[in-house]
Amino acid sequence: MAPAPSLPIQLVWLIPLYGFGGMVLSLPWASGWVKRNGPRPAAYLNLLVTLLAVLHGSLILREVLITGPQHLEIPWFQAADLDLRIGFDLSLTNLAALELVTSMSLICQVFALGYLDKEWSLARFYALVGFFEGAMAGVVLSSNLFLSYFLLEMLTLSTYLLVGFWYAQPLVVTAARDAFLTKRVGDVLLLMGLVALSAWAGSLEFNDLYAWSADADLSPLAATLLCLGLIAGPMGKCAQFPMHLWLDEAMEGPNPASILRNSAVVTCGALVLLKLMPLLRLSPVAIDVLLLVGTISAVGGALVAIAQVDLKRAFSYSTTSYLGLVFLAIALQLPGVALLLLFAHGLAKALLFMSVGSVIATTNCQDITELGGLARRMPATTGAYLVAAAGLTGLLPLGCFWCFGLMVERMAAMAPLFAAVVLLTNALTAFNLVRVYRQVFLDTPHPKTKRTPEVNWLMALPMVSLLVLVLLTPLVIGRLDPAPGIASFSWRTTALVVASGALGVLVGVLVPLDKFWSRSVLRPLRTLQDLLAYDFYTDRIYRATIVAFVAGVAQLTNAFDRVVVNGLVNRIGMGSLASAEALKLGVSGQLQTYVLTVVVAIVLLFGSLSLFRG
Amino acid sequence: MPIIPAELVHAGGNPTPGELETCLLAGRTLLADTPEHLMQVVDVLESYGEVLDAYSINLIHQAEAQFLNPFPVFRFLDGDLSPARIWRHLWHDRINYEYAEYCMKTMLWHGTGGLDAYLDSPPFLENCRSIIARKTRRDPLLAVLHPLFPEFLTELIRAAATTHALGQFWRVMSDLFLDLARAEADGTVRTIEAVVEFIKDALVAAAAQPITYAVEVAGERFWVLPPEAGLTFLVDVAVPYVEAVFLRGTPFLGTVSFNAQAQQISPDQSTFAYGALFADPLPTMGAGIPPSLLMQDMYRHLPPRLHRWYDQRTRGEGDVRVKICMSFQKAMFCVTNAAIRGTFPHPLTVSEPAAQEANHAHAAAWAVRLSRARTDALGAEEGTAQA
Amino acid sequence: MGMLSTLLLIPFLGTALLLLLPGNPPPGRMRGVAITVLSLQLLWSLRVLLAFDPAQGALQLCESLPWVNSIGLDYRLGIDGLSLPLVLINAALTLVSAVCTRDISQRPRIYFSLLLLISGAVNGAFLADNLLLFFLFYELELIPLWLLISIWGGNNRAYAATKFLLFTAVSGMLILGAFLGLALFTGSVDFSLSPVLSDRLSMGSQLLLLGALLVGFGIKIPLVPFHSWLPDAHTQASTPVSVLLAGVLLKLGTYGLLRFCLGMFPEAWALVAPWLAIWAAVSVLYGSLAAIAQRDMKRMVAFSSVGHMGYVLLAAAAATPVSLLGAVFQMVSHGLISALLFLLVGIVYRKTGTRDLEVLRGLLNPERGLPFTGTLMILGVMASAGLPGMAGFISEFLVFRGSLPSYPLATLLCMVGSGLTAVYFLLLVNRAFFGRLAITPPTDPAHDSRLDIRLAGVAPRETLTTLGLALGVVLLGLVPATLGHLSESSTALLAGLPHVVLASTGAGGLG
Repeated sequence: MAPAPSLPIQLVWLIPLYGFGGMVLSLPWASGWVKRNGPRPAAYLNLLVTLLAVLHGSLILREVLITGPQHLEIPWFQAADLDLRIGFDLSLTNLAALELVTSMSLICQVFALGYLDKEWSLARFYALVGFFEGAMAGVVLSSNLFLSYFLLEMLTLSTYLLVGFWYAQPLVVTAARDAFLTKRVGDVLLLMGLVALSAWAGSLEFNDLYAWSADADLSPLAATLLCLGLIAGPMGKCAQFPMHLWLDEAMEGPNPASILRNSAVVTCGALVLLKLMPLLRLSPVAIDVLLLVGTISAVGGALVAIAQVDLKRAFSYSTTSYLGLVFLAIALQLPGVALLLLFAHGLAKALLFMSVGSVIATTNCQDITELGGLARRMPATTGAYLVAAAGLTGLLPLGCFWCFGLMVERMAAMAPLFAAVVLLTNALTAFNLVRVYRQVFLDTPHPKTKRTPEVNWLMALPMVSLLVLVLLTPLVIGRLDPAPGIASFSWRTTALVVASGALGVLVGVLVPLDKFWSRSVLRPLRTLQDLLAYDFYTDRIYRATIVAFVAGVAQLTNAFDRVVVNGLVNRIGMGSLASAEALKLGVSGQLQTYVLTVVVAIVLLFGSLSLFRG
Repeated sequence: MPIIPAELVHAGGNPTPGELETCLLAGRTLLADTPEHLMQVVDVLESYGEVLDAYSINLIHQAEAQFLNPFPVFRFLDGDLSPARIWRHLWHDRINYEYAEYCMKTMLWHGTGGLDAYLDSPPFLENCRSIIARKTRRDPLLAVLHPLFPEFLTELIRAAATTHALGQFWRVMSDLFLDLARAEADGTVRTIEAVVEFIKDALVAAAAQPITYAVEVAGERFWVLPPEAGLTFLVDVAVPYVEAVFLRGTPFLGTVSFNAQAQQISPDQSTFAYGALFADPLPTMGAGIPPSLLMQDMYRHLPPRLHRWYDQRTRGEGDVRVKICMSFQKAMFCVTNAAIRGTFPHPLTVSEPAAQEANHAHAAAWAVRLSRARTDALGAEEGTAQA
Repeated sequence: MGMLSTLLLIPFLGTALLLLLPGNPPPGRMRGVAITVLSLQLLWSLRVLLAFDPAQGALQLCESLPWVNSIGLDYRLGIDGLSLPLVLINAALTLVSAVCTRDISQRPRIYFSLLLLISGAVNGAFLADNLLLFFLFYELELIPLWLLISIWGGNNRAYAATKFLLFTAVSGMLILGAFLGLALFTGSVDFSLSPVLSDRLSMGSQLLLLGALLVGFGIKIPLVPFHSWLPDAHTQASTPVSVLLAGVLLKLGTYGLLRFCLGMFPEAWALVAPWLAIWAAVSVLYGSLAAIAQRDMKRMVAFSSVGHMGYVLLAAAAATPVSLLGAVFQMVSHGLISALLFLLVGIVYRKTGTRDLEVLRGLLNPERGLPFTGTLMILGVMASAGLPGMAGFISEFLVFRGSLPSYPLATLLCMVGSGLTAVYFLLLVNRAFFGRLAITPPTDPAHDSRLDIRLAGVAPRETLTTLGLALGVVLLGLVPATLGHLSESSTALLAGLPHVVLASTGAGGLG
């Protein structure tokens, strides 16, 4: 008999509630109930509860390191053969992800205090971030698919609300809509998979599902559809092709939310896919789809990123690209590497977005062709950018270097093509980072960057703290994955990774840069540039296909309803309607008519009944 | 088909540049002269004056006492670290000094006028060098960072200089607006015309006031903006301030997309029209609208007379901050009007053709710029009192 | 006096009280009386809830009183896990519509007595344990509602009210015909509710009677293509009447579907169920697609009702314990959510004078718009779109989970409909509430942004009811076990019927 779990573990259900509680605590300010005083107390309260979540999480982590994984369940809803539970899996992986999510949220919230210093709706922002954090914390700990789905949908909702934070801005309106609908498509497909699994497998606990899938008796079609449904949800969350459009548009939202979205949220989506990975054995087609989606996202995302002139979008597409690599790793059954990459990418990308945020806050500008010369004046921002860039590429021995090494080493053995994809992505990302660095940080100051003092301490401090964390990533990764060790790849692989990174850097250093939204004079090159800059025209393709289709069918249905259904009714009822016009005259005056009608109706009814009775 | 009853919609007329020019040259006020306008302008400027007083004190405190402090945690406390003040600060029961910083940053970023030019001059850089030399001797972190990022500290000193200059500018404006309120209470100011004249006279009187700034670093006193730089109130600070905050401003995240591909923001800052005279008052207190902070501060210092007047209109207390913003815009047109009057190259009564030509050019330039502003605020209001 | 009879007596006595109130009291007094009576009714419903034994699936707290024995019309009442939640919803929502009735200057006495009359009739229909008694109450609710639309409705109210009356009259006739037919075919005038009654009939006559009932209740629910009265009735009805109509009266149709179609003809039901599932999917998709194309907010919400009531038909077709529980959940959550949405649309309409989505913009504006209404609207549409944490999700999940094994294709199509809900409601929120506040078609873009909109504010008391409903929606979504506990035994019993009947007839065949 195992000893009873300690108090922090028994209270693990509190961890998602910290975030949700933060939201509730913000309500007096967010709803405008507090009118004379400003909204900052809401921010402080949220910081406090998030800090509690971080501490609680680390207490549990310490304990689990000693006692091993724990499992906790609370019944939620039972009916007939249905048993829905709130379950938490306190494994090392989940807890590490939890710490990533909560501490990232904490850092972001401090950063937001500086970034949004002139924002009056601060309380609403913090309420939404609290909601966001609660959902994410729940997703990473969840031990069953039902809870995961439940919280993923809450993430969809909070993404919609966070992207729609500046709701009066026209582009935000469409961005929030698209973010919600794209994710919702993935969610509905995931719901289909979830419902099917619930009906077929009974339990939705991941462990039970693994056992069920080992000897499930499904037709190939059912298995394929099921698995496709299951991967659709994470695809939407991780902004993978063809459901990547929303991440670009979501950049209309406040930058602190973008930090979380590009690091923590996509990680949550990928974690759910990781937990579903053993089920995907059911369908080889789904694995192929994953590989295809991962490859297109990795390379396509990296290519599109290169052509962006918008500072935030240049890196949001890179998120799509990295998550594509994670998808590849998951499809090739390399969960360990996928996790490490998620971790390393999450930290470095968050740092990169903080740096981007402070550039935007200082220059009021996101167009990289209008920026320049920041490196001499902004130490924290520049340092953050450089360290983040190093952490993202496989060149210097920071986080992603080791991940790429491991990936290339394993993939080279079983699928060399995908190893090449990893190397290509590395080179393209390095190129992109160098190109942006040259344009934004080097170069001479442009008019909009003539006066650029470093950002205030509320932004600089979290940025520098995260910078240190990113520098320490290799150590953390080493502790997380001690089994084969993070350096378990050959010199040949090392050379390949470094060479691809160096190549990207070199090209990035040498390539001529755009000035003020200029395009190439060579027609084919310009076409290619536009194709990438406008993201393969994905939004137009959607508008011309799915959106047009749904709108068309809707109009058709409506027309059918008005002309055919309603027309028929009107024709049939013409006589009675004419008498209604006559009745209308009476409406103004004589109530007696109605009473009479009622009486007549009742008399008729009883008359007919007794008549029938005879 | 009127979707909404006509009395619920109010769209003021927008005068053409020609009309504005005539108005300026004739010496008439831009804002229609009605008793309600007078009351709104004077009272809203009184609350603005009180807020500016706090802003000014704080900016000067920041520039002097928090100079090059890497963690200015208590920069909004004006050096008063009593528990009561800290509690009020935490509870956000305070002036939103963030707005003052925002104005400072806007002014620094747009960088026009004499002050900005001085910040690039050799004497200024020389002063910076000595300050930095003194500072890095005691501060190892800065000693490491300075050689790596050679313009880092200089840029921060520029920001501090702008902060101090804005503090001095607002000192004058705060006193001016509070004096105006007193003059109106005395009965010396009874029309909008008198308000504009009052402001113009005060600006002209303060025009030559010197702008200077010195800091103490490690016990030694250094000039940042020395008297010999010859920076003065009107030309070197007031005019750049009007340019940066009244006219250009910065795009609000709540109304304009920063997306580079959407190209909603002009690459040329000098064509920006996001300033106080151009902004839409309706979204006030919404998300991503920085002036909300100022409106909140003024709301907390609203004179009772104006507060009562607001209470009788539209939603009463419910939309009071939008109404403050509308009155504020009217008041800012009066201030701009006074500034234009004060900067005419020749008296308006001049008869010499060349001088008249110069006056015409001055008025025309302003008229074109203002014609795109929210001049619908200038007309007299209809009877809008509602229960 | 039985417990359930009191539930009928309270509103009916209230009606009488209102009608007999001496003199000419001001509308506020009338409203006060109505609210008091309805509060009493709600309290009494809660008392019934306390007395209710959830472990028992069959009708309980039964009361019986012979009445017009000669035609088999007995006064028999009973309650089970299927009707109890609906009785509670009725009590709550009638109270809500009385509370949210404002500025009724025209004949308040009649208005409030009709409201009480409807509430009592609906209670009677849910509690009746006799076919004819059910029918009486079912008809009794019709005329008052017709009056509510045709006297206190919008400009085109005569058309809408007459359409409503004609459709519902046909519905009533079909139901009565089916009940009488049952008596005719079985040769008995025992109008009690019993599935055993039908197994004496040939399958042909069972199908005939079931068909009549299906169309009859299909009109009331409403299912495509019998829905065309609903959008018109909603757009013309005043807000409180819409709340009643969507929240309570549509449930009479789905209740009838479960109680009388599935409950009395389980054998024939099993035969037609696959077609019903397809019908459900068509209804869901049709309602959702038509909703996308609407410009009028209220019409959009009305069409969403058409779509969302289709889930109940799907659940009934599958008739598994989980799906039927889902049907009960869907009835309750649709009642709460659609009532919430209609109230909010009503507030927008009252303040702006329009419900046109091409015209409204930026209502979330914090000072001059309707920010609180907008916030609750976002909550309401998200609940309707089936976002977890709110009532819509658990209902849809149960329906889908219960139906998927039996009718995978129809269930998947219904889930697509659920996805479409997100589309049209998101369009509603984005168009009307996001953007810069403006209430005019953007004819002149240069001038558009300079309009100074003056809307009256929303007083806190106007939002109390909506806040209450929103809390209910969230609570049911977070703690669904409460409702599940109440209804599970009854729905399990109902789901078991086809097997019981098949077993009994099978045995009969052998013997």
